[in-house]
Amino acid sequence: MAKKLRKKYISSGPMPVPKWENVLVVGAGIAGLEAASQLLSLGYKVTLIDKASYAGGHVASWHKLFPDRTDASSVITGLLSSIAGATLLLSTEILSVHRLGEGFAVVLSGGETLYFKAILLATGFSLFPAEKKEEYGYGVYNQVITNSDLEQWFNEGNDPRINDRKISSVGFVHCVGSRDIKAGNPQCSKVCCITAVKQAIEIKQHFPDAEVWCFYMDLRLFGKKYEDFYISAQKDYGIHFIRGRVSEVSEAIDGEVIVKAEDTLNGRPVKIKLSLLVLMAGIISRNDIQPLAEDLSVMMDSDGFLLSRDNITGITRSQRPGIFYAGTCTGPKTIPESLAEARSAAIDIHNYLRGL
Amino acid sequence: MTERIPGAFHPFVIPFLAGMLFVLGYCLVGMVRVTLELPREDRRRFLLSLITPRTLWKNIKDIFLNCLIHVNLWKRNKNLGFMHSSIAFGWFMIILLGHIEVALFLPHRIRFFYYPIFFNFFVAEADATIKGSVMMFLMDFFLLIILIGIAMAMVKRIRSRWFGMRRTTRLSLLDSIGLYSLWAIFPLRLLAESFTAHISGGSFLTIPMNWLFHQFLTTEYHILPTWWAYSIALGVFMCVLPFTRYMHIPAEMLLIPMRNAGIRVRHPRKGFAKLEYYSCPGCGVCIDACPMSVKKENLKDCTVYLNRQLRRGNERRIAEISDKCLLCGKCTAVCQVGVEGPELRVAQRERRRYAIDPDYSTVRPEVKGGSKVLYFAGCMTHLTPSVKSALSSVLETAGVEFSTMDPDGGICCGRPLMMAGRKEAADALIEKNRELILGSGCDTLLLSCPICYRVFRDSYDLPGIRVVHHSVYMDELLREGRLKINRGYECYVYHDPCELGRGCGIYDQPRHLLASAGELVEAKKNRAESICCGGSLGSLSLSFEKRRDITLASLRNLTDTEADAVVTACPLCKSTYGRYSDDTPVMDIAEVMQHKILLYENHE
Amino acid sequence: MIPFGFSLSPSSVTDLDKVDTRRYRELLRLEPGAATCIGCGSCSATCTSSAWTGMSVRKVILGLQRGRDVEVDAMLRGCMLCGKCTMVCPRGINTRNLILAAMRISKEDGK
Repeated sequence: MAKKLRKKYISSGPMPVPKWENVLVVGAGIAGLEAASQLLSLGYKVTLIDKASYAGGHVASWHKLFPDRTDASSVITGLLSSIAGATLLLSTEILSVHRLGEGFAVVLSGGETLYFKAILLATGFSLFPAEKKEEYGYGVYNQVITNSDLEQWFNEGNDPRINDRKISSVGFVHCVGSRDIKAGNPQCSKVCCITAVKQAIEIKQHFPDAEVWCFYMDLRLFGKKYEDFYISAQKDYGIHFIRGRVSEVSEAIDGEVIVKAEDTLNGRPVKIKLSLLVLMAGIISRNDIQPLAEDLSVMMDSDGFLLSRDNITGITRSQRPGIFYAGTCTGPKTIPESLAEARSAAIDIHNYLRGL
Repeated sequence: MTERIPGAFHPFVIPFLAGMLFVLGYCLVGMVRVTLELPREDRRRFLLSLITPRTLWKNIKDIFLNCLIHVNLWKRNKNLGFMHSSIAFGWFMIILLGHIEVALFLPHRIRFFYYPIFFNFFVAEADATIKGSVMMFLMDFFLLIILIGIAMAMVKRIRSRWFGMRRTTRLSLLDSIGLYSLWAIFPLRLLAESFTAHISGGSFLTIPMNWLFHQFLTTEYHILPTWWAYSIALGVFMCVLPFTRYMHIPAEMLLIPMRNAGIRVRHPRKGFAKLEYYSCPGCGVCIDACPMSVKKENLKDCTVYLNRQLRRGNERRIAEISDKCLLCGKCTAVCQVGVEGPELRVAQRERRRYAIDPDYSTVRPEVKGGSKVLYFAGCMTHLTPSVKSALSSVLETAGVEFSTMDPDGGICCGRPLMMAGRKEAADALIEKNRELILGSGCDTLLLSCPICYRVFRDSYDLPGIRVVHHSVYMDELLREGRLKINRGYECYVYHDPCELGRGCGIYDQPRHLLASAGELVEAKKNRAESICCGGSLGSLSLSFEKRRDITLASLRNLTDTEADAVVTACPLCKSTYGRYSDDTPVMDIAEVMQHKILLYENHE
Repeated sequence: MIPFGFSLSPSSVTDLDKVDTRRYRELLRLEPGAATCIGCGSCSATCTSSAWTGMSVRKVILGLQRGRDVEVDAMLRGCMLCGKCTMVCPRGINTRNLILAAMRISKEDGK
């Protein structure tokens, strides 16, 4: 393949001086943006590409971020302003990659072939398609929405599923498509517990009279200030926490949904009528990552995410020289974790390129 | 024809005679035992059927078509059909013609068992007659047919794919002895008859062979040993027959009339069950058919191996095989003998003793009812709300007034307990549901789950109430013009759920519905040969992980058609496929209808 | 012990050192998936029978781990084997096999 490509290159005219663009960052989510900004400040030329027509990834469509309820948009704006020197190509995908000497020849969907010394994969994650958990009735019942739908409503406020009804009780189902072997995702998504607590508080602020219920298997509130958030949800907002996973949702005659779960701490099945049910769809590996991984000959881990060289000291390194990872392409992560990893990946790339 | 051997006896017939008497005695005792093991009522019904002219004629026809012609194998694969029917029918004809020969030429010898078999040894051709040469020609002709069959059988051992089979059964030691002695019988007969053809006469096969042999064999010392060998091969085959898969030959002849009399498996090891597992020819067609065969570790859990273990009485393996099976019924659908793998397995499960027996005395469900149409969603549909809501909306569009029997969850239909071999517990639930349904005042019981449908149809006594599956009901509504849809360009592939297709024989109505909604394409394996989705409640021991490959293989059969959607009519199939189908949507047939109705209404 | 003139009621503390877990270990042999239960309660919530009988696969597993055989047996009697719990279990436990196994092994322990 590489030979063929080189031939084509030669035949297309006199060979230009190879112009090493240095580093390609795949994915302009928060990890990609942060890594690009760090690489720029280290003096590299950075090209940042994203499949989407906008930068910022999942965070761009989020409303507020835990634990300080920072505006998601301000984080993205900040990051974007720091990558002013990089080439940002949106709505762009990689068509093919070939190793060329110590670097890579990358054909982009725009038609151009560019050369990079290193590639950073910051491809992010997919949100679990909640309709796959059929028993929750997402897409069947209008009362059932996802965490992402709710953030969008917080942003835009025009979801008829929320606007068209009186919201008197709201349920949050944790672990939808996470920690679920049946759904093909045994991993914990890490962020849903705290997101549910955050969204529960926000819902309570919008609908102070509504009763809010969180149905959880285990509450995993591990991060800085998460526990404070939880205490506030209990104390200041009166949010109810039920330790039990929702197993069935059906429609009541009066336009509400009936949710069944077991109150495991009490050892009794419970059912409750809710006007809105929010499914905390989890973080899963991107379903389109496999072709790219094959093209780059990097491996996939058993959980469907990209395989790191090792999970303690080399999480940002792939098994191929010159290819690095940052953010949720290797597994569920919080925003601060993704950002920290992006910086670490930038240093890794810097060291790698210096050593060439 | 004149008699050549005085006294019409020679010691070489002894091996044959011993084998023959042994096998006849064994089968006779076996037949009587099996008949006696039937419950009294079944036995009476069976014996009565034997003297009813209509069933008698059917029995003869079925035995001829199945045991001799192997019609079912012909349908499966021409080569396989020819191989089996050439040996079975050819052999039958040789025995029959042998008897005719004796009756024609030496009628006083007909009472000697061995005489028609070794006719050519005992006679000398005095003068050639037309009658004689026709008989000789027919004998050679059928011998040739058998020899071709045997040659094909040998090829099949190496190239089973030519016979439409990927995998064949692994033979046990006795099976091998039976097989090789069977293979030896006919070439030996050819040799023996060829050697004596210049004395007894022969035809197009034996005469040239005789001439050929006489070119280098001048003495006649080799004649007797070949007849001995022929007789020994026959004797060995018949002596081992009861302990090999060839027992299926006599067993099937009893199985067919019993089945025609309506006898069913009632005991795990006695009577009809015993007859079924002895009727298994061990051909291994069920190995390829079994959905579990996608995993090598399950290859020895197909019905053919269950039958073998049942004959051997290997309890550990019997329990293992019985518990693993999905009870999809595909082995029965492809079995040329019609051995009911699922029923045999359920009977084994019923045998198990539990320390704890179910007790549903506290279970007192209520039913609201009120309408003529009562819809029972059932446990599985409660987990697929999309099916429930789609069906409700279809019924509303058609103006069907209905009430839901279990809006808040009812009790189970009893089929899962039945499959697990807990019949008494199932009966308790059946009785509870029956009372509810009869008390509701409905005249139609509508079901969206084939598992429920089958048990309500077959095991519930609901006089005056029509039990109907939603696919059939919607088809009727469409035909009556109560539902209006436009045919679109969507391409659907339909998956036949095991319980609805093989279980209840409903194949056409769902297809008619889909063909009215869009383009219907057929999967490679469909209808009676559709592949279980792997989610079946039939299997007790298969874990979630072990079902994955079964589901993927079954799904591939459907998605290979490149249809826009996989459509099924079972909530369990839908959930099971839905888990793994990332590219092709999996829909219930009610959802397709709901979608098409919406399109129609928006269009109008 | 000093006679107080009244008897102490038996302690409600489960002494994990003394719990008889033979039946649980036998269950694990027959259905190894039992070990992976996270006690989420999906099975109990969806159970067709629980409303009338108190059946709960979660409590069956926990009960056997804690040696509460009588409660377990009472629950097991209510099971209809409908398979809903198998469908919803996030750990993919073969709950029907688990229940049948639990119903079988009670005898072997000479209850």
